[in-house]
Amino acid sequence: MEWAWIAAAAPLAAFPLVALRGKWLPGRGAYISIAAIGLSFVLFWLVGADFLRRQADHFSITWFNSGGTRLALGMIIDPLSVYMLGIVSVVALGVQVYSLKYMEHEPRFSWYFAVQSLFAASMLGLVLSDNFLLLYVTWELVGLCSYLLIGFWFEKRSAAEAAKKAFVTTRIGDVGLLIGILVLFKATGSFDIGTVIQAAESGQISSGTLTVAALLLFAGAMGKSAQFPLHVWLPDAMEGPTPVSALIHAATMVVAGVYLVARAFPIFEAAPGALEVVGWLGLLTALLTATMALVMTNLKQVLAYSTISHLGFMMLALGSIGFTGGMYHLMTHAFAKALLFLGAGSIAHGTGLTDIKDMGGLWRKMPLTSTLFILGALSLAGVPPLGGFFSKDEVLAAVYHNQGPVVLGLTLVLALLSALYMARLVFVVFFGPDRSRESGVHAHESPWQMVVPLVALAYLAVTSGAAAFYLPGTGEGLGQFLFWEEGEAFHPLWWLIIASMVIVAAGFVIAWGIYQRGWRVARALEPVARLARRKYYMDDLYQWTIDRVVLVFAGMVALFDRTVVNDGGVNGSGGIVARVGKRLRYHETGRVYNYGLVMAGAIVVLGLMVTLLR
Amino acid sequence: MVDYKLLVPQFLLAGLAFGLLALDLVLPPARRRYIAYLGALGLVGIVLSTISLRGQEAALYGGLFLIDNYALFFQGLFLVMGAVILLAAEDHVRKFLGHAGEYYGLVVVAVLAMTVMTSAGELLTAYIALELLSFTFYVLSAYATRDLRSNEAGVKYILLGAFSSALLLYGISLIYGATGTTYFRGIAGAVGGTLSPGLLLGLVLLIAGFAFKAAAVPFHMWAPDVYEGAPLPTTAYLSVAAKAAVFGLLLRLFSQGLLPAIEVWRWVIVALAAASITVGNLVAIPQTNIKRLLAYSSIGQAGYLLVGLAALSPQAVSGVLVHLAGYAATNLLAFTAVIAYYNETGHEQIEDFAGAAERAPYLALLLTIAMFSLAGLPFFAGFTTKFYLFTAAAQEGLLWLVGLAAAMSVVSLYYYLMVIKQMYIHPSRHSPRLRPGFVLTGVLGVLAFAVVAIGVYPGPLVRFIETASKGLFS
Amino acid sequence: MNVGLEHYLALSAVLLTIGLYGALAKRNAVAILMAIEIMLNAANVAFVAFSRYVTPQLLTGQVFAMFVITVAAAEAAVGLALVLAIYRSRRTVDATQVDMLKG
Repeated sequence: MEWAWIAAAAPLAAFPLVALRGKWLPGRGAYISIAAIGLSFVLFWLVGADFLRRQADHFSITWFNSGGTRLALGMIIDPLSVYMLGIVSVVALGVQVYSLKYMEHEPRFSWYFAVQSLFAASMLGLVLSDNFLLLYVTWELVGLCSYLLIGFWFEKRSAAEAAKKAFVTTRIGDVGLLIGILVLFKATGSFDIGTVIQAAESGQISSGTLTVAALLLFAGAMGKSAQFPLHVWLPDAMEGPTPVSALIHAATMVVAGVYLVARAFPIFEAAPGALEVVGWLGLLTALLTATMALVMTNLKQVLAYSTISHLGFMMLALGSIGFTGGMYHLMTHAFAKALLFLGAGSIAHGTGLTDIKDMGGLWRKMPLTSTLFILGALSLAGVPPLGGFFSKDEVLAAVYHNQGPVVLGLTLVLALLSALYMARLVFVVFFGPDRSRESGVHAHESPWQMVVPLVALAYLAVTSGAAAFYLPGTGEGLGQFLFWEEGEAFHPLWWLIIASMVIVAAGFVIAWGIYQRGWRVARALEPVARLARRKYYMDDLYQWTIDRVVLVFAGMVALFDRTVVNDGGVNGSGGIVARVGKRLRYHETGRVYNYGLVMAGAIVVLGLMVTLLR
Repeated sequence: MVDYKLLVPQFLLAGLAFGLLALDLVLPPARRRYIAYLGALGLVGIVLSTISLRGQEAALYGGLFLIDNYALFFQGLFLVMGAVILLAAEDHVRKFLGHAGEYYGLVVVAVLAMTVMTSAGELLTAYIALELLSFTFYVLSAYATRDLRSNEAGVKYILLGAFSSALLLYGISLIYGATGTTYFRGIAGAVGGTLSPGLLLGLVLLIAGFAFKAAAVPFHMWAPDVYEGAPLPTTAYLSVAAKAAVFGLLLRLFSQGLLPAIEVWRWVIVALAAASITVGNLVAIPQTNIKRLLAYSSIGQAGYLLVGLAALSPQAVSGVLVHLAGYAATNLLAFTAVIAYYNETGHEQIEDFAGAAERAPYLALLLTIAMFSLAGLPFFAGFTTKFYLFTAAAQEGLLWLVGLAAAMSVVSLYYYLMVIKQMYIHPSRHSPRLRPGFVLTGVLGVLAFAVVAIGVYPGPLVRFIETASKGLFS
Repeated sequence: MNVGLEHYLALSAVLLTIGLYGALAKRNAVAILMAIEIMLNAANVAFVAFSRYVTPQLLTGQVFAMFVITVAAAEAAVGLALVLAIYRSRRTVDATQVDMLKG
């Protein structure tokens, strides 16, 4: 449908309007912003209905021509993009409605909604774009918006730092994405995703180039989807307002990476070795962060690590050629995780608490929020018949079919861990004794503007399981829809389903035992837990690397540039060591003759280069 | 017979420059600000005469001086830059510098020199124009006569500049001796095949001389000192105009004169590019002075431009031109915002920008836009132009260099964000709101519009540039 | 012995080396400027020699030399003015003392 571009354009248009004129608009601009994303949601239905009648389509206009290459702004309408359009627009809509009340007292209320609009616009543009150029543009915009939203409370030092961390870390991956796109462009002469995929499938691109390109694209996906070792930004990203975390963790930023791999899936399939890397790295990420989720005590931090773990799970699915499973899990996770984050926000709103050590017995104080939160947790833990159960089984089936027994075993361990940490949350937060005096006094249910999105998301989290068998309007399951050319029905493996149910049940029993009955298992595992609590020293490692390597490297280049080259040549090497500390600060000597000597030396070097390379 | 109609812009520029100098003598000090406005008006008027020449192809004085779309593109760019600098400088010159008319006159002389540089079809013409440009900048850098740092900048600049141009001149003499000509096209006929050692040395000296003017590592060491010491408008002008003019000259010289020897010099340029990108971006991190930070950032930008020179396909030349235009708008925006802030506060340390968002929200927003554009974020000129440039370079097989450039632009994001963070941090003391003048505000608005326009809809610019750069290779 | 192109070029190279040495080793800013003038003259000698031996029918090199002499004069004028300015403020023309700007 030609109008699909409005889905991205409407929030985009809302951005400058709300940002600049928010004060004078109805609801301080929030209504405009919500209306825009609402329009996107409506367009999802129109586009979806139209798509079911007419099949895949693709429209583009020329942005500008560069030499012989046409750089286009275009959209692709296929099952994947329609599917993503739905997920993104519904979650963004829910989050914005929720924010109306949650962010009510913010002085920069309008700016918040403006950036929310821009965020939604970039994400919708990302999932609709039919070429790598537009995809990269929107990809960068998503990063920029995350910077603006995570750093929304920029007065808070930690928020400003977290925002910078998220922006810079994901941009490291983006370098890979850009180079990958350029490698593919060099090989095919086109940025159009369809053209590139065709070239990859028909073997026009050499397999070496293809693998390099696929891995570079995956590097981009690793940054955005917080895969090890670029996952460090995501837990810090909770410094932003809670609805922002919901949006980032559930439906926008982090799924961009998974989406990219899915969109470029034929390229990964054609590139030998690429899918193995995706799968293994996903599994590693998932296991590592699942254990961290088990020991963190900040509610949002547990959810953040669980997000990374589930993203790893999706990557594992894609790496196991479980396209349907991966994308399916993306949806069920998006609904459940948005629900959990908004629920966590509701808990914080009602009790003022963020650490689960202070919580307990909330079930009696906030029954509605608790019910909804628990539904989300159960879905993510994989309890039947909620959404997460079906998508997890779909992934397990893919792993079973395409990976060895080792991977399957590790995946089942992962399933146990996910059940365990979700069960831990449920038991510690909602049941058991009330561990805080304040929460007993102040706890109250949240206002309806916050509850309605929760109810809607809970409905989706519960019912999304049915999509495996029946997607409204298509008459068939999600598998057939996503793979519309070579339909793939939901294929249950009964023994695997039973195994996974047993594992989930075991997880809940263990958690019940530990957190309700006080089993002393945790004591025995203390060393492991401590390791996990220190985030496997990843943050320390990064900080150390940044402190030692990057800054020292910068200093070294400067030092070499100014001191070793200059003074070494003029004053001899004596005294250099003594001056190093001082020189670090005054590395540019400021002396003309030093500069002249470097120039003369450089000419000699260049002369030698030219002569020798001739 | 020389068609003088084609030289009207140059004549008008010379006339305007002397006119502004003369006005300084006539007008009372209170009215001297009108010299800047008049100069800007004059430059914009000359743009019209440049536009009227569009599409002309001519070689004047037997090929010494070339008029084509390529030259005219740069002419327009320099004229607009000159006008922007005049308007941006006016407030600053009135408050901190003396001899307003001379300052503005020299700015216009620099425009004249740059238009000749990009029109030169021969080394002598290029050399004379380059020296004219350098002399004006020596003086403009030392313009704050009572400021020790400005004095120092001027002395350092002229000592090193004269040194580098002596080496450049020696290189030219060797090339002349080996090829028997100084015309670019003539050189092209003589540099195919194996090159004699004299010619190689000449080539290296030539590249070194130009690398100095473009502030490419390792010939960059003058730049941070001069950028920091010189008065702000001079720094702004130096960072965009001088760089653009040098690249305008280099691209013509390399594509028309040295293309047959590309295998010989490509690696030299690649090495300079890689070094500039790395050093410029890394050393920018620990900087505390905004001018110095922008100096190192512009060294990095010179590296990106050198990537395009190393690729040297018609597409890559277009990439350099597009990036130059986008970079000019972005850097002028950044500097104009800094000038406006400095005029009101007298501070130029990065830490002094704390609280800028509250004291001058408009300035802070525009400086943020400029920083985002410099870091290459989409919707701003920096993204589109860099993407175009890198695509062209990737097509020529310089992928690893593009990778380095992309990686270093992540580093650059880090230090640009530090400036932004500083502006949005609230200072402890309560400071009054800043109100930059009407003209400065207007200039800032126009530049910000240009940055966004090039970022969002580069089509028309790219189309014109592509016709311009195609001419170089015909 | 016939004086040929090589001899002029040798002279030019010697001049260049002297100038280079002076420019890099001298501390006095005026001396550095003078050394740079010597480098320019080295180029002039080369230009004239090439003009005579490589393109005897054209005067390109000689014209170049004329222009370079003019440029050199202008350079000396601007350079001395700037050095004078710094002398007035700092009472020194020692280029190694001029190092306020660094880092």
